[in-house]
Amino acid sequence: MSHDMQRYLTDPFQEITELGEGLFRLNIGPQLPISGQGRFLVVTDGELVYDIEVDIGYSHRGIEKILEYKNYIQGVVPLERMVMLDTSNILMGFVRAVEDLYGVEPPPRAKYIRTIINELNRISSHLYALGLFAESAGWNPAVFIWTTADREPILDLLEMITGARWSHSFFIPGGVRADLPNGIKERILDTMDYIEKRLEVYEDAWIYNETFRLRTEGVGVLPRDKAIEWGAAGPSLRASGVAYDTRKNEPYSAYPELDFKIVTHTAGDSYARGWVRFEEMKVSIDLIRQAIENIPEGRVKKTLPPRPVKQEALARAETGRGEINFYIYTEGRDKPYRVKISPASFRNFFVIEQLPKIQEIKLADVPPLLYSFDPWFLDADR
Amino acid sequence: MNPLELLNLLKERFGDEKILEARVEDRRLFFKVPYESAHEIASLLREKGFDMPITMGGTDFPKKKVIEIFYSIWSSIHDFVVTMKFDISRDEPKYKTFIDIWPGVHNFERETWELLGVEIEGHPRLKLLLLPEDWSFEEEGYPLRKDFDPSRYKRPWGDEE
Repeated sequence: MSHDMQRYLTDPFQEITELGEGLFRLNIGPQLPISGQGRFLVVTDGELVYDIEVDIGYSHRGIEKILEYKNYIQGVVPLERMVMLDTSNILMGFVRAVEDLYGVEPPPRAKYIRTIINELNRISSHLYALGLFAESAGWNPAVFIWTTADREPILDLLEMITGARWSHSFFIPGGVRADLPNGIKERILDTMDYIEKRLEVYEDAWIYNETFRLRTEGVGVLPRDKAIEWGAAGPSLRASGVAYDTRKNEPYSAYPELDFKIVTHTAGDSYARGWVRFEEMKVSIDLIRQAIENIPEGRVKKTLPPRPVKQEALARAETGRGEINFYIYTEGRDKPYRVKISPASFRNFFVIEQLPKIQEIKLADVPPLLYSFDPWFLDADR
Repeated sequence: MNPLELLNLLKERFGDEKILEARVEDRRLFFKVPYESAHEIASLLREKGFDMPITMGGTDFPKKKVIEIFYSIWSSIHDFVVTMKFDISRDEPKYKTFIDIWPGVHNFERETWELLGVEIEGHPRLKLLLLPEDWSFEEEGYPLRKDFDPSRYKRPWGDEE
């Protein structure tokens, strides 16, 4: 049976469209409980899924074009609107690219502060993702409420450090905007103890729960070679057994001086993707503890020289959803000539579309499958 | 293999006149090729273990009358990124797809098609991805080209003057 047939022939906004031969196309979205606006068009015969098409672009803001009109400091503000939950990790890729262009190395203290904020953001992003993942598998709504509530102390910490719960605009090319406030160390350590205790609760109640595993294990298996070929990013790639993490493979900030391991899983199914996120939070807690203990004294920012030393740069960083990379081309002015952003969700959406081609997927398994990739439309749309 | 070794291998195989503007950095290799040999070189890169496309796009140069296309590929074996660039004419922007070599560039090529107006021959699904359904290329143009004028889009609440 050809499932590519008649894909776009009928009205795409109809909830259910009959395609003939017992096939129906089901419209999931555009208002989804995950972030933002986007649609999944699922072709099914009632039970088996033959095709998933992801329709993105509902919140395309043209950030790549906007950045061509802003200088590197101004560019920080529109850029971090890409993902509000995970702003500092998104910015990390941009400031790395600009620092590469200008040949500037941030001061050591700034590197440690960046690491702390990046990891706090990563925990908050993973908590949110796991809450939604649990909800999609039927754990409604307890786990989502727990994880959302447990993000609060982290957001409070971020507010103390940067002045804003979300969209901190805290990283600038050459360092960070301000030093850590007094007394933050104890506060961070206390919060980490709290989060660690909460993760134990999640382990018992949910992540190692038999029912949850039955629901998500073996769903949407992404084999290792396909994960690489299709360009999966972040936890989705690591859950398929590829030990690749930008923090380790392309060390930046304080990561080369800290001790941590890349979390991987070999199964490649929905459960593995959730499990990798869960274990990564433990790694993040450990990283924050190490960073706050070893943070050096000194300045926190440097000024950029008047002219860039290079014409182009390609920088990568690890966001909560996976790798983000920035290609910047400049003609020597204070503004970039071209910025190409390649976010993790954009790549993972393509992987989702390909999955029904290599295995049988049941319609009831579609929600946990989608949410296990932690898809974020605003990220993919830019 | 490290970036320098790969560059030497490519130069040995294809000669200095085909591997242009080469630049080796930490975990990066940038080089430019004539479009005619791009697919041949891409196939060799794939053979040598450059399997995961991480980004792809184009840059518009109205003065030089070219659009520069770049493909950045990471290798899961050698763990570094190679960026291959080539120029296509701006008056008649088209080239043959690389999907058969790297399937993961599917959506990136689609995006380049709509935002830069590059015709990609052999791409199975050139359909609007990010732009609205009622976007008209004749009237509004291609957003990432340099002659695109964003000032025609006013803020719904009026511009501050």
